[in-house]
Amino acid sequence: MTLDGATTEVIRSYLLSAAEEMRRTLIRTAFNPVIYEVLDFGISLYNRDLELIADAPGLALFLGANDYAIRKGVEYVGEENLFPGDIVLMNYPYWNSAHAMDVTLFAPVFAPDEARPFAYTCLRAHWMDLGAKDPGYVLDSTDMHQEGLIFPGTKIYKKGKLDREIVELIRFNSRMPDLVIGDLEAQVASTRTGERRLQEIYAKFGAERFEEATQRILKHGEMTTRRALESLPHGTYSAEDLVDDDGISDTPVPIKVTVTIDGEGMTCDFSASSPAVRGPINVPFGLTETICKFVLKSLTTPHSPSNAGNFRPLKVIAPPGNLFHAIYPSATFTLWTSHLALELVYKALAQAMPDRLVASSGGDVPGFMMVGTNPETGQLYAVSNNDPVGWGGGAAHDGANATNHLSGSLVRNTPIEVMEMKTGMFIEALELRADSGGAGMHRGGVALTRRIRFRSPGEFLSVTKKTKTRPWGLAGGCEAEPNAMLLFPGTPKEKRVGTYRAAVEAGDVAVCLTGGGAGYGRPFERAPVEVLEDVLEGYVSLDAARDVYGVIISDGRVDERATEELREGRR
Amino acid sequence: MAETKKRFRIAVDIGGTFVDAIQFDGVEGSVRLAKAPTTPGQPYEGVLEAIRRLGTPLEETDIFVHGTTLGLNAILERKGAITGILTNEGMRDVFEIGRADVPPLQMYNFAYERPAPVVKRRHRIGVPGRLDAAGDIVTPLDEDAVRAAAAELAGAGVQALAISFLHSYKNPVHEERAAEIVREHFPQLPVSISSEITREYREYERTATTVLDAYIRPIFEAYVGKLKQALLDKGLGGRFLIMRSSGGAMTSEVATRAPIFTVMSGPSGGIVGAAYIARLLGRDHLLSLDYGGTSLDASVIENMDPLVMHEATLEHFPALIPIFDIRCIGTGGGSIAWVQEGLLQVGPQSAGAVPGPIAYGKGGVEPTTTDAALVLGYLDAEAFLGGALSLDAAAARRGMEERIARVLGTDVLTASAGVFDVLIARTVGAIREITVERGKDPRDFSLLAFGGAGPMIAPLLAREIDVVDLIVPNVPAAFSAWGMVMSDLVSEFSQTDIRRLSDAERPAIEAGFSVLEEKGRAALDQQGVRPDEQVLEHFLECRYFGQEHALEVPIAMDMETADIVERFNTLHAERYGHAIADPVQVVTLRLRAIGQLAKPSLRKLPPATDPADTALVKVRDAYCFARRQMVPFGIYARERLAPGHVIQGPAIIDEGTSTTVIHSDQRMTVDEYGHLIIRRHAA
Repeated sequence: MTLDGATTEVIRSYLLSAAEEMRRTLIRTAFNPVIYEVLDFGISLYNRDLELIADAPGLALFLGANDYAIRKGVEYVGEENLFPGDIVLMNYPYWNSAHAMDVTLFAPVFAPDEARPFAYTCLRAHWMDLGAKDPGYVLDSTDMHQEGLIFPGTKIYKKGKLDREIVELIRFNSRMPDLVIGDLEAQVASTRTGERRLQEIYAKFGAERFEEATQRILKHGEMTTRRALESLPHGTYSAEDLVDDDGISDTPVPIKVTVTIDGEGMTCDFSASSPAVRGPINVPFGLTETICKFVLKSLTTPHSPSNAGNFRPLKVIAPPGNLFHAIYPSATFTLWTSHLALELVYKALAQAMPDRLVASSGGDVPGFMMVGTNPETGQLYAVSNNDPVGWGGGAAHDGANATNHLSGSLVRNTPIEVMEMKTGMFIEALELRADSGGAGMHRGGVALTRRIRFRSPGEFLSVTKKTKTRPWGLAGGCEAEPNAMLLFPGTPKEKRVGTYRAAVEAGDVAVCLTGGGAGYGRPFERAPVEVLEDVLEGYVSLDAARDVYGVIISDGRVDERATEELREGRR
Repeated sequence: MAETKKRFRIAVDIGGTFVDAIQFDGVEGSVRLAKAPTTPGQPYEGVLEAIRRLGTPLEETDIFVHGTTLGLNAILERKGAITGILTNEGMRDVFEIGRADVPPLQMYNFAYERPAPVVKRRHRIGVPGRLDAAGDIVTPLDEDAVRAAAAELAGAGVQALAISFLHSYKNPVHEERAAEIVREHFPQLPVSISSEITREYREYERTATTVLDAYIRPIFEAYVGKLKQALLDKGLGGRFLIMRSSGGAMTSEVATRAPIFTVMSGPSGGIVGAAYIARLLGRDHLLSLDYGGTSLDASVIENMDPLVMHEATLEHFPALIPIFDIRCIGTGGGSIAWVQEGLLQVGPQSAGAVPGPIAYGKGGVEPTTTDAALVLGYLDAEAFLGGALSLDAAAARRGMEERIARVLGTDVLTASAGVFDVLIARTVGAIREITVERGKDPRDFSLLAFGGAGPMIAPLLAREIDVVDLIVPNVPAAFSAWGMVMSDLVSEFSQTDIRRLSDAERPAIEAGFSVLEEKGRAALDQQGVRPDEQVLEHFLECRYFGQEHALEVPIAMDMETADIVERFNTLHAERYGHAIADPVQVVTLRLRAIGQLAKPSLRKLPPATDPADTALVKVRDAYCFARRQMVPFGIYARERLAPGHVIQGPAIIDEGTSTTVIHSDQRMTVDEYGHLIIRRHAA
């Protein structure tokens, strides 16, 4: 090694900046708000060996999702068939690590006088429609062909020249061709920005230093991860949970992981999970890897950008045909399984590191959507919202109240004023729900109740895959209240649902109850003064203070003697 | 403004370490600077001291403009008033839930802790009374419930109240009535009303804005009151103005009515100054770079107008206030250098002002960029900040040697240059990002460097980006205060009013604007602005149907609707790379009411009569990044430079509070106003 630590860092900064410029270009030029508001994209740069050298954050669960995709893509096209100016399009779910609406573009980057690419850019983004069986979301597909038009790895640009026939193919297969083609162009603009910047960096520092710097950057990623891994306890830990249903039948689907931490690194084995199911909750293997990358990243190097070195100590196992290694023609559209799987891996590890991890959150992303026609303009609308859940308590602190699930924590909810302006929904209450957080020495975060009254008819969709099981506590902490959607409460039609599509009329009511975070440590260990504060704030009821925490409160004060006696008697 | 004009204008900016006071002499057209230490306990004392040092006769002062981040500090340090919220029944948790998102840097944090709510839940009360999205009453306001709630909050020790109801941007009737009831029964309780501060939609953002306003109000009122009294006692006869976050100033009476508009008043002075220079020197594309002790901020100024945003983020709170688009792109001179697994890192940790860099000798043990600058010969250890502080060069070198050079296996000089290399690469990247974000190429920009350390690193950025040129203004260390002197009186008003941009809707849009115009003129009248000095600027914030991002289109009221649409399309194509044929939707009407104050004009200085060498004070070895070695740098005293002087790097221009470092592939020219203009030029 001849390159110094400053120059390597300079090159690393420039690479990250190139990825960031791609990100801003995409956000700037995208047509669809799911890209520029919800940040439903992932951007990565690779060296010639397809190792991740820089990325730009978008959706958390796209972390490293491109890694699997670009390998499969280059393998399919063949490196020898890639030329300067080429851009390849792919969305084959089993390679692309996502449902067919997430479309990846990758491009080789060449130096002027070299025959082999010295790097690649890769970015995926959510497209609005690519001809799936239903517009919007597909909740009940039973094979891939119901989920949209498929590109296995198709050059949309050939040596810098756009293939119009492919664009036309997309146009004729989409319900929203203008948006989709606009987004395709945004992805191309972003790809070209990355390509140009990479070429500048390569020219500025030269082939040799570029090569050496990228190797050192990967080594740095690996070493920071391994260093952090040294503090994690060795051992093998398993956990299981249930996905509510597969979208076709009502039967809960078991998921199970075994995580091993040893001198080599971390291994996650999903072999004991359910085999593939009929409905669209199967997970492409690249996404399974991504879930595990997220966990490893969060435990080791949460504050630094990602590169392939970070993931060298990670091994992920799921046999083809397993729920977590979908193969053709399994349906993969509803990716909610991944939210549950993320917490499943934490659940396994929490046994080994109760002091470091936290109890379960509400466990999923409780989403809803209303589709209807504006009575005044006659226009069709579809407005969706993800509601927050309580987060789990940990050794050091209480769980956060009403915060978006870790799998998509940067996404924001829809304001009531926007919702009421655009839809027939009228929000009667949006309040934190007392006692929804699991009790504990450190309480789980409380979740919320949203009471919706419909002022005009339409369709109401509820999406969550974790309502049948309760969020798990840690170190003696209590379980929390689970997610639920209550339709038409107090009427003969009353129904408690998870994932569901209902027709609603003016005057109907739906109540969304989101899952609380579970508790950490025994509730009797919680300081009475903290329980008092919770009661004064209305996060915990007086009854729960007495029955669950063993704290007697009267006249806004802790009755210390009665509390001591009660706690003593029940210990 | 009818009265006879007095000679002086004063601006005072309170920074983290120093209070900067600038005097503008209207007769001579000259500028003078004084500094005093910041006095965090009683901030007005530092202000008075700075004015005393400046020595301006207050009775001959026309305008006193003040920038303070007092309100912002109260928010950051959680030192505001005990605040309560009165809102709709069922909605008291809107403020706590917010948008339910997590800050981007926390995206992998499974144990994210939300900051404790600024308003306790038991101080948030909902009362019956509800409007719908059209602003129509669904449930009438329960006035007894309002009285009961106010009594409960006052009884619970609440010191300031925020009133925020759903859809009040559309119809403020319930908010206004509730405020009336509260004021009637509890006249001592300061009340902030959401619809008075902003008429924009999104309930959480509006509530948070109102809460912050209430939260800082008692502190702000007390401070402004004390300072004003002290200045009056000392004979101030002119206006007392407070700077706003989006440029322009307002009288202290107007400022205390909604202090939230002042939260970023300090930095905004720098942007006003930058826009002034962009116009003066005819620079269409200007990038301002403000590098101080604690942060590195940049702002893009296109077509000589700084971009104003209408939503700020204060700590983690949104605030629907107009504010300049100033981006923090790095930590300041106190950024700590360290080595992680063989790679040299700079920041994000900062030694701040305390303990500060090793060289300050205040207990700092970790090498910072300031220590690296000292090793590289850019700073004069004996005369730092004009001799206000002496630096321990040996300790800085030792720290750099032990903690960086040895770990990297290199010498102390290479290590220190490496710190700058990393800092520059990081900053260049950030600058590219904020220009690319607007579809612009940074090479088309001029760079304007200010803040104490701006002129030291900006020449390195200029080399790396290859900008058109680099401008170092006069008194770069107090540039924000200088910019404040250039301010007009400004009040801004807005109204969210979502409708199609079409001829059919034009009367409704015009009706909306006439309400805003009335408010704008009233605000200016109140501040003593004569009608002939009043200028009203109209803006329509528009978007395509189905899109979220909206763009502000400057319009004239007599423009054809089709021309407004066309202008929107053009702006959209420029900003987002495409325009589409979809119908355009109005989101918000905006009005900027300006009371034009006579601007001090910068005087052209007499051209140099002596050669530049007469400004040469001494020669010192420093690190030249063009040659990548220590070479002799000529050290020039800035006060001895005059228009027409040309100096080829390597050279250092010293002016006590700031140091400009010119490398051997750069050449500096002094322009007719005394600005240093630096361009690439091989020796």
